[in-house]
Amino acid sequence: MQGTTLSRWTLSYFAVAVVFLLAAQALMALGVGYPSAALRAPQTLIVVHCVTVGWLSLLMCGALFQFVPVLLARPIYSNMLPLPALILIVAGLGALIAGFLQLAGALPWMPHCFIAAGILLGSGFAVVLWTLGRTFARAWPPNLPAQFVVVGLCAIAVTVTFGIVFALGYGGYLHSALLAKLRVHALPLHVIAGLGGWLTFTAFGVSHRLLAMFMLSPELDGPTTRWTLYLGTLALAIVVGAGTVAAATAGGLEIALSLAGLAGLACLALYGSDVVQLYRRRVRRVIELNSRMAAVALAHLAAAVLLIIACAALGGIARFSGALVFLVCFGWLTGLGLAKLYKIVAFVTWLECYGPVLGKTPTPRVQDLVVEPRAARWFWLYFAAVDFATLCLFTGTPLMFRAAAAFMTIATLGIAVELVRTRRLVNVKEALRLPSGAHAPRLLLTFVAH
Amino acid sequence: MTDFVELDVRPILRAGGEPFGEIMGAVKSLAPGQGLRLFATFKPVPLFNVLGAQGFTHAARELTGGEWQVEFTPAAAGKTPGSGAGTDPASGARPGAVPATAASGGAWPAPMSELDNRDLDPPEPMVRTLAATEGMAKGEVLCALLCREPVFLLPELAKRGHAWRGGFDADGKTYRLLIRIGAGQGGSA
Repeated sequence: MQGTTLSRWTLSYFAVAVVFLLAAQALMALGVGYPSAALRAPQTLIVVHCVTVGWLSLLMCGALFQFVPVLLARPIYSNMLPLPALILIVAGLGALIAGFLQLAGALPWMPHCFIAAGILLGSGFAVVLWTLGRTFARAWPPNLPAQFVVVGLCAIAVTVTFGIVFALGYGGYLHSALLAKLRVHALPLHVIAGLGGWLTFTAFGVSHRLLAMFMLSPELDGPTTRWTLYLGTLALAIVVGAGTVAAATAGGLEIALSLAGLAGLACLALYGSDVVQLYRRRVRRVIELNSRMAAVALAHLAAAVLLIIACAALGGIARFSGALVFLVCFGWLTGLGLAKLYKIVAFVTWLECYGPVLGKTPTPRVQDLVVEPRAARWFWLYFAAVDFATLCLFTGTPLMFRAAAAFMTIATLGIAVELVRTRRLVNVKEALRLPSGAHAPRLLLTFVAH
Repeated sequence: MTDFVELDVRPILRAGGEPFGEIMGAVKSLAPGQGLRLFATFKPVPLFNVLGAQGFTHAARELTGGEWQVEFTPAAAGKTPGSGAGTDPASGARPGAVPATAASGGAWPAPMSELDNRDLDPPEPMVRTLAATEGMAKGEVLCALLCREPVFLLPELAKRGHAWRGGFDADGKTYRLLIRIGAGQGGSA
């Protein structure tokens, strides 16, 4: 049978991810990590990994378990394996945070925390890759949007590998000179492979299809989309290949990063033109909140790219790297993530609950599960707070940054409450809420009928 | 060396016809180990999925004038592991491993009605299609036009005991789904 069903654990991933996002934002509001502490201070690394692993990576993994089968029109290889993967990743992140807390002197020294983090995170992501990889094998060769995801999955493998090298270094296990050099020099590669390759490139593939689907735009698979894929892959290959050689020989990374930057820039420009096409050529004139907010997130990506170019031209990349990474993480990736989460939770809940009775009895529309004007206010507050926080980082005003982070936390909490209301069917009229035969959804788990 | 049965659907396509039934009929009549060499006026990408699910690998080659030749090889003959839903990797994929429904082979009656759902916001096409099937009698056929492969609808049709056949039209933009009421144990591609 072709087609696919719902992913059982995707909402569990989303719930854990949102908790980590809220925790990270609250820590920033409390003044933990950058800019109150140094960029590479253990406190900063705790916040950074709560955002990148706890929030963004779990969000992306949960979304991919649902979305890859849709892209390929094939069922997921296993609907059970995502659960052990989630447990391993969360445990690994816990061990990693414990390791950083030891470095910060907040916990007594316990041996093997970092090696446990390396093993747990490595095996957690390996299970994710295995589950998605076997799903891809069912529909090989993959279609164009799916090829973006394949490159993104290669990038997470690279990111985690670098991460394990760093964890071993922090734990004092690196006795090989080569790995020790990598530990010292390869940090930019870890960041670029993670934020650029894994999160941004996968988001490109996912957003191509989701934007087309939600706005009734034509599917793009022409030369611009293909060259977005080729140039982005080339940029990542240069970063990983040439960058690793340069880092291992303790040579400068500048040449590799400049070449990769040029290819990456061309890739971003092509993606931008595709996105403009998707919005311009849409059949649906009035678009939903998720597509409007995705556009705001895309504008933040464009702003981040322009600022990176400006900083590179003026020689301020090192000085402003914290602000730039913040803008990419919160303006672009988190903005897009929250926007799509708002739609996906409503759709998954609708299909789970009303799918079995569609056509047999009156059922609500997906849009009846949400109240967009109320959620829109939280989204605007979120983006305004992110913009203000970015400004504070550029101008070096840590106290104001903490206030902005507090507003980000409040806005995210508002969006999270909206998601719970959607899942609980609170917004649906009583008469339509649970017709006979409909399946009442649970908060953290999706019922999957066989 | 795989033995290929040749099928040229170019005349049907040029005449504006729908060769899906012919192709599936030809696949059904293949002897064990036999492959299908198909000639079409476009690259028949949807078929790659449909036949991939039945354990076929494919090799596509562009001919002159934008026409295509595709060789579908049963996985067992090609010594490659089976891929696709409906096949059991443990037992080795083979053509025909998908349980065929009683109505999956042979001719279906002409559709009773046609639903054009191409301009509807998702998931409205799914709702309308399922609503239409509820009012139909066993054995009747519904044709639904969609703008993409309805990945969530297909398992729901199978769950409700309907058989279906589907694929993209030659323009690659319209997904034509035929549903036969009460004729399935599972979906048939």
